[in-house]
Amino acid sequence: MEIIGITGGKGGTGKSTISSSLACELAKKSKVLLVDADVDCPNDHLILNIKREFLKTVWQRIPKWDYDKCIKCGLCGTVCKPNAIVSIKDKNPIFMQQQCNGCGACAFKCPVDAISWGKKEIGTIFKGKNHNIRFLSGELKTNEPISEFVVNDINKIIEKEKDQYDYIIIDTAAGTHCPVISALEMCDNVFAVTEPTPLGSHDLEIILKLLKRLKIKSSIILNRSDIGDKKIIKDLAGKYNSKLTAEIPYSKEIIDKYSKGVPIIGEFIQKIIKEL
Amino acid sequence: MKTITVLSGKGGVGKSSITASLAVAMSRKKKIISADCDVDASNLALVLGAEKHEEWKPISTNQKAKFDLKKCNSCKKCFNSCFFNAIEWINNKPRLKEFSCEGCGLCKMICPAGAITEIDINNAKLGYSKTKYGFIVVSAQLNIGESGSGKIVSEVKNKAGKLTGDADFMIVDSAAGIGCPVIASVTGSDYAVIVVEPTPSSFSDMQRAMEIVDHFRIPIGIIINKFDINPGYSRKIESFSKKNDKEILTKIPYDKKFVDALVNLTPIIVYDEKFKSIFDTVAEKLIKMFSDE
Repeated sequence: MEIIGITGGKGGTGKSTISSSLACELAKKSKVLLVDADVDCPNDHLILNIKREFLKTVWQRIPKWDYDKCIKCGLCGTVCKPNAIVSIKDKNPIFMQQQCNGCGACAFKCPVDAISWGKKEIGTIFKGKNHNIRFLSGELKTNEPISEFVVNDINKIIEKEKDQYDYIIIDTAAGTHCPVISALEMCDNVFAVTEPTPLGSHDLEIILKLLKRLKIKSSIILNRSDIGDKKIIKDLAGKYNSKLTAEIPYSKEIIDKYSKGVPIIGEFIQKIIKEL
Repeated sequence: MKTITVLSGKGGVGKSSITASLAVAMSRKKKIISADCDVDASNLALVLGAEKHEEWKPISTNQKAKFDLKKCNSCKKCFNSCFFNAIEWINNKPRLKEFSCEGCGLCKMICPAGAITEIDINNAKLGYSKTKYGFIVVSAQLNIGESGSGKIVSEVKNKAGKLTGDADFMIVDSAAGIGCPVIASVTGSDYAVIVVEPTPSSFSDMQRAMEIVDHFRIPIGIIINKFDINPGYSRKIESFSKKNDKEILTKIPYDKKFVDALVNLTPIIVYDEKFKSIFDTVAEKLIKMFSDE
């Protein structure tokens, strides 16, 4: 069993297209789980034409006040770092649940035990299958800020089910912040997808630095390899001891297929598979 | 000052390229400042060809726990109470999992031995660049592996406000996604521009981005980028927008020159004259929208 991450830093470099294509190709001979961990904007089910079925709700704990016990001291508000509690002395605290990260500082600080735990829904995890692939997809509820909590719940499912598969492919979000880190922490081997533009190389360097800090093996997939200057990417590969595994030339055919929601298969996928 | 935020949900649909050209078009008519609120992977200064950062300084918006193992009595209360599972228990002592600590401070409060302090973390660098188009772009870059991008986004916007309080417009380039940094980018904006491509993924992500903006009751305009790669799907987006009462600000054709402009670190509006009228029209619409107030 091997867990493969597909990431890239920059958005729109082809992470989902490559994850989906790789999953399809590997699934011809192996048991494959594809995980869409871009919970802000999950798209893999659209590319693979998978009808998602509800698997579970993602909850986050939030404090609940017993106003009969509350002595309106205001201490809960003073320890709330995300500023989710506005407490005015001699008034019931005002709670803005969207801001709350569930840390529990308020409940600990309360001198009269007036705070217990409730929960709020922050996302959904779906399952599905197609093309001989098993599929998991997380989706953050809109206007909820903490994407990594949804990723953490996906990770728990992967942890439980991983032995059933030969390959697990995790498609991460763009960027390098918390939900991307949470997804990458699961992986044995990560491919960073980029393009040979100044933006692509700038963001690639950030993600390669992150992978180095996380001590995860990284390789590079260069998409639209002929649109800019390949040298900047090759230099980065050398600097971070990361192998340039596959180059995918720019192709109108790929764009056409993508805009219609069809996965692409090609010789470059074989190169990636050889690397595995 | 009116704040216009450009977002898309999906990454790589042309957000930064369009923001840069829109900012240049706006700057020819009004006083503006731009803010790159994609602090994970900040690119706007690069697209505008402004590489030199002024006042590039570390900032701190986060704290993390620090253990004094000599004082620690191994009661394990910190380990048991951390909601983020950011504490490991090794050799009967706590060890911080740096990537997981949110800096909530609960462990410090709980520790009966006073062995935990909170230290400020330099989680980003923030600064600004002068572009050759006469306006400033404020940027920040999250340090590798740090969290707190939402708070850093707020710092970028604060800095932009302080640098040119008398600007007519602040043009904000948001990150991809719809999570914490994007919510922080949209908060307090007067108008949102959503960039979309005619693909199922981008259309789906645009609708999620719209939900965020609608939640704040901020008016939305839509730019369809590369509209001609799938005209049928573009029409679908147009009718969806009309039904939801969102204005289509413009439609931009697919052109390989966008990539050439990017490689040459020049906004497309400057790189190729033929795109001037597209961005001028959008700039005029936005300026007019707020001059009526």
